[in-house]
Amino acid sequence: MLHLFKYRFLQTIRNFPVMFWALLFPIILGTLFYLSFGSAGLDSTGESRWDAVKTAVIRDGDASENARAFEEFLTQMDGEMLDIKDISLESEALDALNEETISGIFYVRDTPSLTVAKNGLNESILTSVLESYNQNAAMFAEIARTHPEKLPDAIEAVADYRNTTAEVSLGGKDLNPNIQYFFALIAYACLSGAFLGVQSSIDGQANISALGARRSITPTHKLTLILIDMAVLFIIHFFNILILCLYVTKALKISLGDDIGSLLLVDFMGSMIGVCLGVAIGCLARISYSLKIGVCVLLTLFPGFLAGLMFGNMKNIIELNCPIINRINPAAVLSDAFYCMGIYNDMERFTRCLVILAVMSILLLTVAFLGIRRERYDSI
Amino acid sequence: MQSTNLIQIENLVKRYQNLVALDHLSLNIQEGEIFGLLGPNGSGKTTAINCLLALLKYDKGTITIFGKNMTPNSYDIKKQIGVVMQNVAVFEQMSVRENIDYFCGLYVRDKAARQQLVEDAIAFTGLEDFTKMRPKKLSGGLLRRLNIACGIVHKPRLIIMDEPTVAVDPQSRNKILEGIVKLNQQGSTIIYTSHYMEEVEQICTRIAIIDHGRVLAAGTTEELKKMIKTGETITIEAVTLDAPLLAQIRTLPHVFDISYESQILKIRLGTAKHNLIRVLNYLQEKDVSFGRVFSELPTLNDVFLEITGKELRD
Repeated sequence: MLHLFKYRFLQTIRNFPVMFWALLFPIILGTLFYLSFGSAGLDSTGESRWDAVKTAVIRDGDASENARAFEEFLTQMDGEMLDIKDISLESEALDALNEETISGIFYVRDTPSLTVAKNGLNESILTSVLESYNQNAAMFAEIARTHPEKLPDAIEAVADYRNTTAEVSLGGKDLNPNIQYFFALIAYACLSGAFLGVQSSIDGQANISALGARRSITPTHKLTLILIDMAVLFIIHFFNILILCLYVTKALKISLGDDIGSLLLVDFMGSMIGVCLGVAIGCLARISYSLKIGVCVLLTLFPGFLAGLMFGNMKNIIELNCPIINRINPAAVLSDAFYCMGIYNDMERFTRCLVILAVMSILLLTVAFLGIRRERYDSI
Repeated sequence: MQSTNLIQIENLVKRYQNLVALDHLSLNIQEGEIFGLLGPNGSGKTTAINCLLALLKYDKGTITIFGKNMTPNSYDIKKQIGVVMQNVAVFEQMSVRENIDYFCGLYVRDKAARQQLVEDAIAFTGLEDFTKMRPKKLSGGLLRRLNIACGIVHKPRLIIMDEPTVAVDPQSRNKILEGIVKLNQQGSTIIYTSHYMEEVEQICTRIAIIDHGRVLAAGTTEELKKMIKTGETITIEAVTLDAPLLAQIRTLPHVFDISYESQILKIRLGTAKHNLIRVLNYLQEKDVSFGRVFSELPTLNDVFLEITGKELRD
């Protein structure tokens, strides 16, 4: 048994075209992503430098308590979360906004407001700052009225926005919007196990290959051969994914979260789905090997595309318009699981992803097994 | 001595939709034979082998090997069978030795026994100098020898060889044929399918001629040749004949068929003494000049031609 395992292992890892697609291609793609986003695009992680958001503050001469409290709130934020530019005229501020030298304009009024020119991470932060103030406005107004000397302390306590963001909104982890490409990439890499599965499936079926026929007429039980093949493929692809994750975290310095156990679990299920997908494709009616590889490329890249591999916002667009696709697309579910680990710290959602992945694994494993367990054929 | 039926195939019928690939095919193969399945491409040889190995479903008939019904789960039977496929079936990513060892491992679990068997197979097929090479580095002949080594490494009681010499150079072909005879001498029963009649005639102890999925004739080479009228074929080159002369040649004793084309005369005669002398005397009497003359005893091709009305390689 060990003997068969050893040779199947050697045979698989020496199969360069298959290993290229399953291991090297995702690593190359990850490197290209990293290079194209540039190190600046990947710096804004929880552990790295935080760039204050450039903004302007326009005072309308409103002397209300609320306006005073909001102005004090913004002043407390200056230098930390915000980089308030020395602009007093609204027209100058609007020009700066159009020229994108600032990301937004806060209006100090009884009812504070914000103007931004586009959607983006900085704009989201400014919106969150305003929302954060509004949630606590009544408290600030009360403190300003009763204990004005305590207002700075109260604002400071609430306005430690970075910590709030780190602990509540982003789980102390990466804020970089480009990180989604890497999650989609790892999800795609998991599905690339299909390339391993296709070859193995072909080698196991007497009606498709001479090797399949030769192996089918030996006294070794077909189930034994299938289990050895599957075990070898799972192990190899699991390590492929671990190598990719190591490369992404250690070489490209992109955080995938701190929960190693969860990461291994997701990687394992992803590997299983990829390999089973390939075995199932290999069992397809008698189409040529190259066509099967073509189907493989399609069924790995297209789900990857839907999960945001080529266009980062794709998964969000699908989530808004047709969320069911994100539930049944294994790449999207895998990517979501990585999000839950690396960004959200949302265990409920993570568990849901794991359940979906487990169901997909079982379904694909069943299909793959039913496809290759046949022992006698109508034609060869 | 009473021979044992190692394989018994009775009334085997296999259809591919409307095409009847095997048409009530029946065969008995005895222990110790080199049994040749001779037939043109598409005659049903490989289909018969695949049914025999329980790879193909068939519509009707029974197959017993070693006295037992052959099914996909007949692992005790499969243990004693070695198969050399028509297409080379080895792993490209493994060396010659690794391939042989892998396939041996599908039959033999014991490591020490396996090592010895692998060495024996390498020596038997003359692959000693190529054990570390990958299959794609091997020539066509060496690749075929590797294919054979993988099929016979576990020293099976029954070896099935499906056209093992296709696309092989003459030197390698001779080595392969010598090897097959040696395997038989070492105790293996061999089923050998081919459309090369010379090979079959050279090594097989018994032959079945099949076409359109049916056994047309079976027996030893001599028995098959006795089944046909042709006892001798005389070919005379560079001869000029007119129609009356041709008609007269047709009436010579034992002549049953003649053909005349491009100044080449072919005369088929029944088995009789002095056929050649009689024909040449006749031509001298008629003052007919001629070039080279050949006399051939019947071949399996003649057998096939007489039985089916077409050449084996048509």
